[in-house]
Amino acid sequence: MKLPSIQLEAAEIRRTFTWVDFVVLVGVFGFSWTVLHFGKGMIVHFDENQSPAISTNILNIPYYAGRTVLRMWIAFGFSLLFTFGVGYAAAKSRVARSIILPALDILQSVPVLGFLSITVTGFMALFPGSLLGVECASIFAIFTGQVWNMTFGFYHSLVTIPKDLQEAATNFRLSRWQRFGTLEVPSSMHSLIWNSMMSFGGGWFFVAQSEAITVLNKNIKLPGLGSYMATAVEKGDNTAAICAILTMLAVIIASDQLVWRPLLAWADKFKMELIESGEAPQSWLYNFLRRAYIFPWIEEHIFYPISDGLTQLKRGIKLFEAVPQRSRNLLGRIVSGLVGGLIALWIGFEVVLGIVAAIDTVYNHVALAQFTRLFFLGLLTMGRVVLMTILATLIWTPIGVWIGFKPRIARVAQPLAQIAASFPVNMTFPFMVGFFVASHLGINWGSIILIAMGTQWYILFNVIAGAMAIPNDLKEAAQTYGLGGWALWRTLILPAIFPFWVTGACTAAGGAWNASIVAELATWGSTTLKADGLGAYIAEVTQKGDTPMIICSIAVMCVFVVITNKLIWRRLYDYAEKRFHLD
Amino acid sequence: MATALQPSTITAATDRPVIAELCNITKTYTVAGGRELKVLDQIDLAVHEGELLALLGQSGSGKSTLLRCLTGLTKPTSGRVTAYGKNLDGINKYAAIVFQTFALYPWLTVEQNVAVGLMAKSLTRSEREHAVEKAIELIGLNNYHEAYPREISGGMRQRVGIARALVAEPKILCLDEAFSALDVLTAENLRTEMITLWREQATSLKSIFMVTHNIEEAVQMATRICILFPHPGRLGLVLNNSLPYPRSASDPEFQRLMKVIHETITMLALPDHPPEPPVSGRPVSRARTRMESIPTVPVSQMLGLLSILRDDPELENIYDISNEIGKDFGDTISLVKAAEILEFVETPKDEVRFTELGKKFIDGDSDLRKEIFAEQVKKLRLFHIILVYLEVQEEVDEETVMKDISTALPYENPERILKTMIAWGRYAGLMDYDANTNMVTRPEAKEEEEEQEVSS
Repeated sequence: MKLPSIQLEAAEIRRTFTWVDFVVLVGVFGFSWTVLHFGKGMIVHFDENQSPAISTNILNIPYYAGRTVLRMWIAFGFSLLFTFGVGYAAAKSRVARSIILPALDILQSVPVLGFLSITVTGFMALFPGSLLGVECASIFAIFTGQVWNMTFGFYHSLVTIPKDLQEAATNFRLSRWQRFGTLEVPSSMHSLIWNSMMSFGGGWFFVAQSEAITVLNKNIKLPGLGSYMATAVEKGDNTAAICAILTMLAVIIASDQLVWRPLLAWADKFKMELIESGEAPQSWLYNFLRRAYIFPWIEEHIFYPISDGLTQLKRGIKLFEAVPQRSRNLLGRIVSGLVGGLIALWIGFEVVLGIVAAIDTVYNHVALAQFTRLFFLGLLTMGRVVLMTILATLIWTPIGVWIGFKPRIARVAQPLAQIAASFPVNMTFPFMVGFFVASHLGINWGSIILIAMGTQWYILFNVIAGAMAIPNDLKEAAQTYGLGGWALWRTLILPAIFPFWVTGACTAAGGAWNASIVAELATWGSTTLKADGLGAYIAEVTQKGDTPMIICSIAVMCVFVVITNKLIWRRLYDYAEKRFHLD
Repeated sequence: MATALQPSTITAATDRPVIAELCNITKTYTVAGGRELKVLDQIDLAVHEGELLALLGQSGSGKSTLLRCLTGLTKPTSGRVTAYGKNLDGINKYAAIVFQTFALYPWLTVEQNVAVGLMAKSLTRSEREHAVEKAIELIGLNNYHEAYPREISGGMRQRVGIARALVAEPKILCLDEAFSALDVLTAENLRTEMITLWREQATSLKSIFMVTHNIEEAVQMATRICILFPHPGRLGLVLNNSLPYPRSASDPEFQRLMKVIHETITMLALPDHPPEPPVSGRPVSRARTRMESIPTVPVSQMLGLLSILRDDPELENIYDISNEIGKDFGDTISLVKAAEILEFVETPKDEVRFTELGKKFIDGDSDLRKEIFAEQVKKLRLFHIILVYLEVQEEVDEETVMKDISTALPYENPERILKTMIAWGRYAGLMDYDANTNMVTRPEAKEEEEEQEVSS
């Protein structure tokens, strides 16, 4: 336990600028310049018939990697804004909640990749003649891939803020902003960062996929690592492809080390419990930044004077304030209600319009028999998802438990599994296709492996987390009674990891539907392998640009996902929550 | 069931101006099953300048709800709350709360937590720092400025809570069981300091309004004590306490006040009923005619109490029992009451005596105990709600039972009552509960069990 940090009145250390501050400043300016440099590339002229060529020169990799990373962060920024806005609205207003929660539930299940062709054409129409349209479509794909679970997480932490902390904020009459900054964001900080980290990791898959797509029979390539990889594969340039994969790994590890670890270390103080817990997460970068004087200096010499000035200004205004507090509140409520209502109306109108247009397109072009076919394909893909989940569970559960029981190994293995889960395996699919061709393994079965490559990790690291969370006294009790082998698994291990497994398997299965769009139709140079399945079908109609069939096939996939969520995962969640919840 | 107690007429200390007042407050909550549960019933209470008012009540009597009405955290269902004569709209800005759980923000340092009390005011940085510093010094938190709540002891945390409340410059400080999460010595120390703080009038503070279940705490601190009777919460007894500070527990007046409060609560919870007269024409049933609630206490504690009483026949007085078992008075009363409605003890006045049955019960082996317990439970009308269902069907839905309970006992929380009923019923071997289906069921395979017992 740490001792309370006791201050000695006399010995206040005068801090000054050091080389650390110099490094930080150089870092900040370098960073800003880089962002501007890469950002410039996003708004260049774009002609859809003459897509900018991607060079496979290895020296160009850093630039492409930079573009990809920038795309990721822009998408993440939007996700964060959306999370705060929508999550907050859902937590605060009952009307908003009754619309938002079911909507999020559905949106979460929608296979994002299926929409790429629609969003690309939409955004291209929005920014004619500029690359920005395609950039937006790519960013939108990443955004839709990561935003839902962040929003859910934020909403959930908002509604579970302990009642006494809320009452304290109310009693001391904190304004909405003060409440948001002092109570609501800090208390959800921990879950927010964890969810962001997971979502961001999942985003790499979408960025790699959305950079190089074939829409309406046109090849569109955005400068980036994903498109670099695609070009290298098309040209059969193995060196370039391997370099791209290595760079991807490096970029993922760098984001982990430079952003997420420091954030986790910083967010440790936002944990709710009032007792000092075991080990705080460490980050070398965070420790380094804490040595910088520049941040306290900015606070002292820029932030405080500004806030004091604002306070004085507010006082000045208050003297002239004629409207009494109460009616102002009423006015504010009316205005915000009106604005909210208008936005809701507008969104509702757009949605209805979209649905009407979709039905109209579908009604005239699709026969009922085609739906039967789609449904059959859906069953095939579902079979793959189920097989993948079962196989991954059988393989990774024992390994995960073994790792989880050995804390020293777990500390290394868990971040590794997270990085593996972040890696966009779709980049490696072409190699696998080569392997399948060489070993005469049909894509119908092979695609299960492709799907598993991306999604099995969720099961692994959740099982590790579950095994690590088994309290020591329960393990000791099992030892005392000589439980071993199957008896130990049945009475302690399986029940204890079950809730974690459900989380992992649900995420994995959700990801698998998305991955099937990529995995069931894979290309390596001139070889294209196509499996029978809904994923392959969606990929195909997307390339052809057959809008009615795109709508139908995605709708069918959504139905499959929503139904399995409702019938299987939701029930398993409830069951796990009720029966196997530790503590 | 309530013995009518006339509130003693309020006199002294109440001529001074009223800071906050509750006028005819009623508060109902919606509980499981959509039933309305009335927790406060027609409360009239005023907090005057210069008084230290204690609201005394058992857990579940609605005293925290009353405090929340007074501070504006909760809106009463009907009635009026005023602050300095004006109708309260929103939060009462003259009141600051000190929470039982401290309610500190774990991510803020002591200094920053205290500053939360100032957020409603627009202050410059130096003004804010000055105010925080003053409060920290006043409350004895020097040298803890930069510590996080998780690094300091419970007593220190509550000091931060008090400093945070004081820095907001309230007229009334509302203590919501503020000392009950602290150890005995720390709590005692803080109580004395609070009295000093209030008496010295060094701050804006005029009055303290404290909510507590600790009788001694109330008598030690308050100038006026109000007792809240439960189910639904009503103001039962108001006592003025003009003892000079510092008060000593051995002072005769101190002891007299303690005794009056003890007696009031005992009379209320364990009234000396006349035996029920037989009613002609009613079929002979062993069940009592009166629908009576049960105290929500676990069977094991009741058994513990009976064992202690058996081992120490001298122990008769309920206050002594309370001291002996180290439970607060309200909890002790609940335990005794549970034993009484099962006819294991009698409670003439404030004495607790074994009945013949009680002796037989506690001296018996586990089978005999179970048998007697089952017999006694069957006499309680309340249990017939479930037993009638189980006579004709294998199991009954929890919701159905709860609805029936709330019809029979409109002022009780049906969820808590049902939980206790299931616990008692399980011990008696009369029923079981399936947590997966939320069904109250017949006990499993009774004959088999008995056969096993016979063979073993």
